[in-house]
Amino acid sequence: MNAPISGAGRYIGQRVLRKEDLRLLTGRGQFVDDVSIAGVLHVAYVRSEIARGRIVSMDLEAARALHGVHAVLTAADLGKFNARCSNMHLHHNDGPITRPLTEEFVRYVGDPIAMVLADSRYIAEDAVALVWVDYEEEDPLITVEDAMSGPLVHPDRESNVLLQIGLPPNPEFEKIMASATHVVTGTLRHQRIAQSTMEARGVVSNPTGMDELTVHIGCQSTHIASAAIAQAFELPENKVRVVAKDVGGGFGLKAQPWREEVGAIAASLLLRRPVKWIEDRFEALTTSCPARESDITTTMAFDKDAKLLALACVYNSNNGAYPHMPDAGMPVMMFMPGPYRIPVYQFVGKAWLTNTVGLGGYRAPWAIEALARESLFDKAARQIGIDPIEIRRRNLLTASEVPCLNALGLEIDNITPMECLDNLLTKIDVPAFRAEQAEGRKQGRYLGLGIATYIEPTAANGVFPLLSDHAQITIDHAGKVIANLSTHSQGQGIETTHAQIIAEQLGVNVDDVTIYQDDSTRSGFGPGGAGSRQAVVAGAAIIRAAKILTDKVKAIAAHALNANPNDVTIEDGMVKVAGAEAMSRSLKEIAELAYGDAKRLPPDMEGGLEAQYRYTAERMFTHASAAHACIVEVDRETGFTNILRWISSEDCGVQINPAIVEGQIAGGLAQAIGVVLHEEFTIDARGNPTAVTFKDYHLPAITDVPTFEYTHITTPSFSDGGFRGVGEGGMIIGGPTLLNAIADAMLPFGPLPDALPMSPTKLHNLMQNEPVV
Amino acid sequence: MSDHEISMTVNGRTCTSRVEGRMTLGDFLREKVGQTGVHMACEHGVCGACTILVDGLAVRSCLMFAVQADGADVTTVEGAAAPDGSLSPVQQAMRECHALQCGFCTPGVVMTLTSLTQGATKSDEKTLLNAMSGHLCRCTGYQGIRKAIKQLAAGEAA
Amino acid sequence: MKPAPFDYFAPKTIDQALEQLDRGAGDATILAGGQTLLPLLALRMSTPGIIVDINRIPELQGISRERGATRIAPVTRQNAALANAELAAVLPMLTKALSHVGHFQTRNRGTVGGSISLGEPAAELPAAAVALGAEIEAHSVNGSRRIPATEFYIGPYATVLEPDELVTAIHFPDWASGSVTVFHEVARRPGDFALVGLVGAVTLDQGRVSRAGLAWFGMGPTPIRAAATEAAMLGQNAAQLDWAGLAELAVSETDPFEDHSASADYRRGVGRSIFARTLCEALNKGAMA
Repeated sequence: MNAPISGAGRYIGQRVLRKEDLRLLTGRGQFVDDVSIAGVLHVAYVRSEIARGRIVSMDLEAARALHGVHAVLTAADLGKFNARCSNMHLHHNDGPITRPLTEEFVRYVGDPIAMVLADSRYIAEDAVALVWVDYEEEDPLITVEDAMSGPLVHPDRESNVLLQIGLPPNPEFEKIMASATHVVTGTLRHQRIAQSTMEARGVVSNPTGMDELTVHIGCQSTHIASAAIAQAFELPENKVRVVAKDVGGGFGLKAQPWREEVGAIAASLLLRRPVKWIEDRFEALTTSCPARESDITTTMAFDKDAKLLALACVYNSNNGAYPHMPDAGMPVMMFMPGPYRIPVYQFVGKAWLTNTVGLGGYRAPWAIEALARESLFDKAARQIGIDPIEIRRRNLLTASEVPCLNALGLEIDNITPMECLDNLLTKIDVPAFRAEQAEGRKQGRYLGLGIATYIEPTAANGVFPLLSDHAQITIDHAGKVIANLSTHSQGQGIETTHAQIIAEQLGVNVDDVTIYQDDSTRSGFGPGGAGSRQAVVAGAAIIRAAKILTDKVKAIAAHALNANPNDVTIEDGMVKVAGAEAMSRSLKEIAELAYGDAKRLPPDMEGGLEAQYRYTAERMFTHASAAHACIVEVDRETGFTNILRWISSEDCGVQINPAIVEGQIAGGLAQAIGVVLHEEFTIDARGNPTAVTFKDYHLPAITDVPTFEYTHITTPSFSDGGFRGVGEGGMIIGGPTLLNAIADAMLPFGPLPDALPMSPTKLHNLMQNEPVV
Repeated sequence: MSDHEISMTVNGRTCTSRVEGRMTLGDFLREKVGQTGVHMACEHGVCGACTILVDGLAVRSCLMFAVQADGADVTTVEGAAAPDGSLSPVQQAMRECHALQCGFCTPGVVMTLTSLTQGATKSDEKTLLNAMSGHLCRCTGYQGIRKAIKQLAAGEAA
Repeated sequence: MKPAPFDYFAPKTIDQALEQLDRGAGDATILAGGQTLLPLLALRMSTPGIIVDINRIPELQGISRERGATRIAPVTRQNAALANAELAAVLPMLTKALSHVGHFQTRNRGTVGGSISLGEPAAELPAAAVALGAEIEAHSVNGSRRIPATEFYIGPYATVLEPDELVTAIHFPDWASGSVTVFHEVARRPGDFALVGLVGAVTLDQGRVSRAGLAWFGMGPTPIRAAATEAAMLGQNAAQLDWAGLAELAVSETDPFEDHSASADYRRGVGRSIFARTLCEALNKGAMA
């Protein structure tokens, strides 16, 4: 019998080196642009140069005449192939009708209006430069404020509000506001973020045979991609094969094929030719579904003991013209209460249409909840006059209070934020820091400590396709293990972590396990990389499939060796019978028997060693918990923020591979540092993006990211395996931790501005005030 | 536009080809020499993913034309490992330190660190870190790369 | 992001290059290290019909001493100049500035002459040339001239060079040994262009300022020489300089712009504090030496 996973197995909990790295370190990965097919045509898009207006005329003749150009297609040319895009849920959510090419009205700078297909991308770009478009330009709506008062972005809609959500007004709320001892309000404006996967988007579409289509595409799930493509072109899903071996980062951007990918596929179907579109960095930084742009005003009411009585939020999001899906803050509303006791809660959220490129989901799309809530807790602590740690202690749900339903009616259970906070505080001497901070201020050094706590909802279960994951495990006739999983990796290391789970369960060497997740036709349907789910759900599917397989191996071995199945174990690829060393057989020998010698199998047993299981989590959410701290110094001379120390204390349940857990946390933290300090997708008054290169769009460099310190608690979740998921936590907690540290450092100069990022200009400006110590 | 007959050594093999003057060295290595480990991620010289060695020096292959490398000795990430396939010290350090996730920026990182640690070349941690500031990674927060750098610098010092 | 088509020439001699520039009649662009030019070509912000690659002209590479000056040939790689021990001995200010140019990888290709003749206003080397009193030697088929760096820059990426002229050398005059290096750059990340930068040299003679060359980068449409500030320092006792006043004067000589990295006020404010601190620290160090 296999030991239950406890976190200290032969493979589970070990820092196993990644299998993926051998090919990725030697240049032998296969990313979408590495796929070459004879006769492929390369796409470059003709894009709108204005943010809003009507195309009066378009002259494509010179482009079409260029040597090496095979076609220049407009919306009219694509005809029925100018298909409607759908989001990762495979429906349209009542969003604007989104097709690859715009017909008459352009709605953002970069709106695709025609596509060139040529022998090379060089020639395709030459042809784009020869296209002449005459526009009737109108004043664009750039901001939410513009959208509130301006003309309709989509004239077929009733208003520029794409979606509005909210909780019914609670009559208690006004009463509490009127009588609460402390009321604190804050607004946070989150800038627009360019997702900036290092590999931009890309697709190679290859119509094969009479009615089959093979598509290589940068995606987060081959299955969602395949289903979305099938849906767009009304093809049978079983004729669309999506292949994606290596994908250079997803973060939400690649959750569904969008306008340009669908356009390239459309062209391949129309021309019956393989077609390739590889997004370049200019496109990626200007027209590739950026994220986040939203503002939120949050109000908290406290009693005299600094206990939260009520919380209210007003959220507005600039969705652009064609968002992946309407963002009125649904997950923000769901996760805002977080790990806190909140008796009364109100939320109103609106998604606004503007003449900017459509918004996409980006790692923890709701992360503004933690930014707003955790920074407001700090503001409240200062206003009330208690320590920021203490205000959290008074309001965090304790172990004795869960399970419970939060203010929204969502079940909160099996969470450990208080424990994470306690563990965090063993790693940092807060009084000593406060003394150092006070001393520093006297010398003109401005140090700050930020702390934040949260719970990360992982492995969401309930909205298609976020339902279940599938594992199909085979021990082949040579005794080696192949697993086809419904998962997909854009860097998460699933070929390693999930091989560790299999090796642990089957009792084989991890080197003898190979995972495949790169082909929609080879594995079971699953949502892939979305919502920190793959360890939790696919991990549990693996455990159950492996159990079936192990039982079968034992049954075959017991039958063949005339032993009791309960005495059979598999260790390191050897099938052993307790107390009978001489009867040990290699897994290969048992496999040969299973595949080749039906007579020696137990009666009525099917041959082969193959098992599959589709697992659905029992709960709507699993939760990971965490508390982080960071210490910064803000330089009064330059307004630069220097991160001196960062400590992560988290509980993601049983860790499959702590190095990969820490990698997920670190990656999220670096992106959060980018949000708070560096990144900004800027747009001028005419709607032109102005940070169009990596010189101007500032991704954090190695010098911007400190060495992180980690401490882990490992409380098993309710799922088989006890895993909790850890994909988005760093991104969620990183922002408020850093923002709170900066606010703490800047305290002598006054409150921080509302708008992210906290650039040197903003902080330097604030530091022109004389410090009040 | 002009066409040019060029010849260069790529990972120890001579490659001869006709190219347009405007073709970047990175595109040439990918499309004409099949070295798809050369990753084009920004095509404007900031991200570092396409970094290769030209005559032993780490350069951006998006910021050179192929014709400019006529006669040069070029090494890409495909040429970094030993002929028997065993990982180079840089590759080994990066693997041991979990210095990559999606792996798209990785080839460039390997080549920069290779240029500063290969053969008799020794570099301290500060030099390696400084050179790493010329690479962008969106996945790792640079933690494993920092560790690998430490390990490489310590190895060089030993 | 693929360059538009062009005709490519790689002359072997200066004369061949000049002929091609002459024939190119304004449609030719010189390719040196290419670390700034290639991004512009890739974005099609620059679409020349002819590229004249000067990397295969041996006479355009190398650093040599001439009377009272150091001659740097334009295609000298930035990393080669940075590693040149003789240069570090005679012009440590230039070596310091070189160490901040771009990234390690771009310095392997990027050239001293390329950076100086492009005139990016936030780049280190044009400002160093202005501050240190360099002269830029340019040739065309019609002859040659030497242009003081202080008269070379007329706007962002704009210089007095004619389209048919080729920079053949940059002459950096010697500074008395013991002259003090002035250098400070405020940039978001290593390799980024400066938000605010200051470069130059000061010579002290018995405690008094006998020569000063100071220039700002990232503080206006061109590198900006702090000429009035230099004049105000001359002859003064270094120990008794009015730093606040000089900083104010030096910043008043700038013309900073706003972009999404920093506001003009930010640049002025930071400029004020780095000017005083950088000069003060440099001169203290100089006085100790």
